[in-house]
Amino acid sequence: MNPGQLSFAPILPLWLNLLLFAAGAGACVFQFRRLQRRLFWRKALLISLLRLGAFALLAVVALNPFWTERKEIKIAPALAILLDASPSMGLPGHPGKSTRLEEAKEALLGGPDPVLKILEEKYEVRFFELGESLKGFSSGDLSQLKAGTQRGDLNEALEALAGKNQFALLLSDGSSKWGEKKGGAPPVLVYPLGSRDEYRDVLIKSVKAPPVAFRGKEVVVDAAVKGYGYDGLQVPVILKSGEKLLATKSVRLQSGSGEAAVGISFIPDEIGSYTLSLTVPPQVGETLAGNNRRDFSLKVVRDKIRVLMVSGSPSMNYRFLRAALKNDPAIDLLSFVILRTPANILNVPVQEQSLIPFPVETLFTKDLKNFDLLIFDNFLYHPFFRAQYLGNVRDFVREGGAFAFVGGAGFLGEGGYGGTPLEEILPTRWIGRESYRRPASLTVRPSRAGASHPITFFSADEAAQKNLWQEMPPLSGFNPLESKNTGTVLLEGAEGGFWPILTIGAHGKGRTLVLATDDSWKWYMGMVAREKDHSAYLRLVERMVRWLTKDPGLDAVQIALPETRGTVGEEVEFRVKAGTGAPRAGQKEAPSLSVFNPAGLKIASQLRPGGQTDEHLGAFVPDRSGTYRVRVEGRQGAAEETVLIPDPAEEFDGAPDHARLKEVASASGGKLVFNRDELLREIEDLGKRKETRFVEEKVRPFWANPYFLATVLAFLTMEWYLRRRWGLI
Amino acid sequence: MKAAAGSWLLRPVLSWAKAVPQFFFAQIQYRGGEWDPNPRFVKPMVEELELRTSIKAFPERRVTTIGDPDIFYYPFLYLSGKYEFDPFSAEEQQILRRLLTLGGFLLAEDAMGAKGFGFDRAFRREMEKIFPNHPLRRLPQDHSVYQSFYLLDAIGGRQRVNPYLEGVVIDNWTPVVYCQNDLAGAWAKDQFGKWVNECAPGGEIQRIAAFKAGVNIIVYSLTSDYKKDVIHHPFIKRRQNL
Repeated sequence: MNPGQLSFAPILPLWLNLLLFAAGAGACVFQFRRLQRRLFWRKALLISLLRLGAFALLAVVALNPFWTERKEIKIAPALAILLDASPSMGLPGHPGKSTRLEEAKEALLGGPDPVLKILEEKYEVRFFELGESLKGFSSGDLSQLKAGTQRGDLNEALEALAGKNQFALLLSDGSSKWGEKKGGAPPVLVYPLGSRDEYRDVLIKSVKAPPVAFRGKEVVVDAAVKGYGYDGLQVPVILKSGEKLLATKSVRLQSGSGEAAVGISFIPDEIGSYTLSLTVPPQVGETLAGNNRRDFSLKVVRDKIRVLMVSGSPSMNYRFLRAALKNDPAIDLLSFVILRTPANILNVPVQEQSLIPFPVETLFTKDLKNFDLLIFDNFLYHPFFRAQYLGNVRDFVREGGAFAFVGGAGFLGEGGYGGTPLEEILPTRWIGRESYRRPASLTVRPSRAGASHPITFFSADEAAQKNLWQEMPPLSGFNPLESKNTGTVLLEGAEGGFWPILTIGAHGKGRTLVLATDDSWKWYMGMVAREKDHSAYLRLVERMVRWLTKDPGLDAVQIALPETRGTVGEEVEFRVKAGTGAPRAGQKEAPSLSVFNPAGLKIASQLRPGGQTDEHLGAFVPDRSGTYRVRVEGRQGAAEETVLIPDPAEEFDGAPDHARLKEVASASGGKLVFNRDELLREIEDLGKRKETRFVEEKVRPFWANPYFLATVLAFLTMEWYLRRRWGLI
Repeated sequence: MKAAAGSWLLRPVLSWAKAVPQFFFAQIQYRGGEWDPNPRFVKPMVEELELRTSIKAFPERRVTTIGDPDIFYYPFLYLSGKYEFDPFSAEEQQILRRLLTLGGFLLAEDAMGAKGFGFDRAFRREMEKIFPNHPLRRLPQDHSVYQSFYLLDAIGGRQRVNPYLEGVVIDNWTPVVYCQNDLAGAWAKDQFGKWVNECAPGGEIQRIAAFKAGVNIIVYSLTSDYKKDVIHHPFIKRRQNL
């Protein structure tokens, strides 16, 4: 008990206390004088003193004295031991030795007097595993801990530990995510694992490629290649599409942690969606091979639709076709018009002619593959080239090119295409009675297939669609043909025989079309004459070209994939646009979605309505890395796209990063420690600084003390007893 | 097309003789003036056209009026005259404006060749009303009409009033070509096959030039600015420099 701990908190003002005490004392003196008359003075004095004592004690109570007791208490600091469980912790700490995680366990549990035991005696030790997320565990589970599959976020972990732990011990190789933030984190002592000097690996650190490339135009893929332990080594970087080699280039690895930049270019020759890969062959002594390859997606589209049109002679049909094709900025047209035939006689020297040679040899042997669409417009081939070039045209279509034949007098019959390779690929055949019928008056109408086909579907309103074609002027000439079984008639004669006027087909990978008239330009001028919308002809030509060249813009079903790469376990969302055509009998209204994983198995997916008409939102959750196939079937067709989910191992940089660990330590006010003794010493120092002490106070008022009350009561009882004994009561 | 080159030149005439004509003249008959100063120009021009080019043409003209509903389907409108004619009605102007702006083609000829008088005055007046924003103007020497078949450096005709053609240009298309040299006058033959008119002052050379101009105008009407395609440039340039 410390005398300084006695305090007063008077209930009444001090002067009133003194006044009351003085009054009490006066009353006792008065009482003494009166008792002297009846008792011996000593007895009277005793009774008065007893009364005065009781008064004095009550006066003290009014002063409210109390005792304050203080006691100092110490609390052991909380120490968070943070074990990095990133994938790189499963790599060897030193070549040929145990993993970095085992090194960490050894540091804590190894030796006759384990560090962990010492720490647990002095501190409140809590264990945390820093993997995909921060998870606590007990010391008993330490030996069972394994490296995870994803890097942890050190910032998040330290934020979570702040406030609850006075300091932390991090055992890591430095591969966790880290971005310095000010304040909040407890001091961190860092025990680095692994050896940067002994680590050997080559990896493709990054790949930068455009998501969309144009066919026939150079694409440059930029990559950064990093090497550890292979300073100055020259390695090849190989660009492949599947197993097909596209390009290769050598790069010299930089010393230290420098990245070597390399740009590899190639020219895509076919449109479509591709998964390309960049690879550096594994080097001798490499720790990891999985990060020597990077996959990425590339969609190859055409920049312009390249059309080659050969017309048999100048004609209105040629002029209007040309105008319609030139009207579409996406079309790059090269046309040749046969201005004179072998039968014509020129009466002027060459310098007075504007005629140019028809480069048959070049066009039909070398250059044909550079076009997307070849149009023969009432063109008669045999005065200009041999039938074998028609074989080249057939091969061009078989390999994915498009071919359209616009009719006229120089068609299959008189044109001499009967029995040629061209007849083989066309969706119609000549019926052999007459090659061209003129004069005629043939009104056309969409066939059943044409009512909803993207080429001839102009309005969802059935009546409007019907009226449009009824208002078109009749054709004054056409080729009487019949459709092959493989052909689909889109426009047919409305009366006087169901002559196929517009028929489409396919051959190999390519598409074909026959427009069996050279009078279609009247569909334009006819509407001009009627003072009505004359754009239908332009749209028809544009759609014919786009359908023939498989332009995705004309597809009834389109899939728009996200620009960001997906990751395993996270939902991949994409937009689906599914046609505007009227449903045919037996067709489903809503499109259906199927997603196939890299093994080809159908996985769960969902397709829900989007914000706009015919727009839907599709989604699936990839369960593994690889290429997923997304297929949407709508009422007017189907579309397919591929989604690449990259393998996390590709991006894996397993090199120990002790510089980063140093940053972590210094940013938090901690330190790097490299051995057991240093670890214990620093923890001891930090522990002392972080030791918490506090003083416990207990307040005991006098009035609450039973002895005090008993004393007052004793005084009064004794006074009463003596008074009674001495006959005063 | 350089059909003159290659072994196929020696082949016999093939089956396109049966081909159906794609081209014919549709001559506009109008009120007032004289709408038909050269009634016998079609056959000689069609013969020349078929002799020199791959175009198959109908050897007879079709006489029409601006109010004819079929006028929109005629590939080549021909308007000629000597004297001043009555103004077109507002409806006729509207039809011509619509037709020529949206795809039609008109060759107009002043058979008199008097600048500012007669047909010339009336035609210019009508063009100004129909195309107030696209004045009739001289076609530059690099216009496709001078290069569509022959490389022309002069315009022939029965008379030599202008060494050039005039036209109404709308975007890249010239729907109206106007000539004051009386091309049809140079083309016309009588029923015995003799030239109806003498060509002065150039004589037969001037007549040949008139046929060349006719061929070029017709080919232009059916191919538009085809000769402006990039592939033709080096050839035309080289030949012009020969």
